[in-house]
Amino acid sequence: MISESLQWLQGTSLAVAVSEQWFPYIESVHVITMALVAGTLFIVDTRLMGITSKGVTFSYLSERLLPWTWWAFGGSVITGTLMFMGNATGYYDNTCFRWKMSLMLLAGLNMACFQRVTFRGVAAWDSARPPLAARLAGILSIVLWSGVIGFGRWIGFTT
Amino acid sequence: MTLQSFGHWLESTALSQGLQSTHGAIADIQIVHILALATLFALALNLSLRIAGRGLTAEPVPSLAGRFVPAIWSCLAVLLISGTLLIVAEPGRAIFNKVFYTKMVLVLLAVSFTLWLSAVARRQEGKPTRLRTTAAVLYMLIWMSVIVAGRFIAYMV
Repeated sequence: MISESLQWLQGTSLAVAVSEQWFPYIESVHVITMALVAGTLFIVDTRLMGITSKGVTFSYLSERLLPWTWWAFGGSVITGTLMFMGNATGYYDNTCFRWKMSLMLLAGLNMACFQRVTFRGVAAWDSARPPLAARLAGILSIVLWSGVIGFGRWIGFTT
Repeated sequence: MTLQSFGHWLESTALSQGLQSTHGAIADIQIVHILALATLFALALNLSLRIAGRGLTAEPVPSLAGRFVPAIWSCLAVLLISGTLLIVAEPGRAIFNKVFYTKMVLVLLAVSFTLWLSAVARRQEGKPTRLRTTAAVLYMLIWMSVIVAGRFIAYMV
């Protein structure tokens, strides 16, 4: 069932146009949006770890930076989906692709956990060194997103 | 020495041979290159936005530049080292490739802009001028072109 859907997907005229003509251009946009996602997150995460931007509050920094992260993430999802369509069955079977998606899911869970639990008490540590749970969330985010990028690059070497 | 013989010599060096024969070395160096690029790109964006009077406006421009500019240079150092290793590992992919030279010209332009904008930012007070805002926008466009050119090296061999 999945295999048939993927077959159908990569046979659509959009998918064929992507794989035959547009792939390098879409991939370039994917790299730019991905750089923005990871780069803005690294700035916020290192503040969360208490090692950078100590002169500004965490909530201020994340308020100003995360909208860029989300817009860029939207762009990454669109370009990523288009690239996936071009070779859906190949990516689906690719171990690096599966690792990338799994790590991205974990990065999302880490972010959701942080937002719902640790960030609730931000007033207590907004301008100080964040508590252990927050610092751990920051480190985890950097590790997971680096993994997403790492496996993303490896997809290109394994398909 | 012709470009061709330089390429052959570079490819025959112990470092190049070592990188070629180590499984995954090229991909892993590329990952380091991409992580440094992502960090630099986000730092450059925030520096540009601030120069244009947007983004992290709670902080004066010189103070923000004081933190972000050294970080940009650190990322550039990592990019230069990882990029050089990638050329050594696969000389033919770079030195006969027009897109590679286009990228290098763009990188030089980006470095010049970094020098200029950081000097400007360190003493910027008051409202942003039109010239500085334009330069900040150009700065981001140059970095985007560097990224696109970098990706296209792979397609123009």
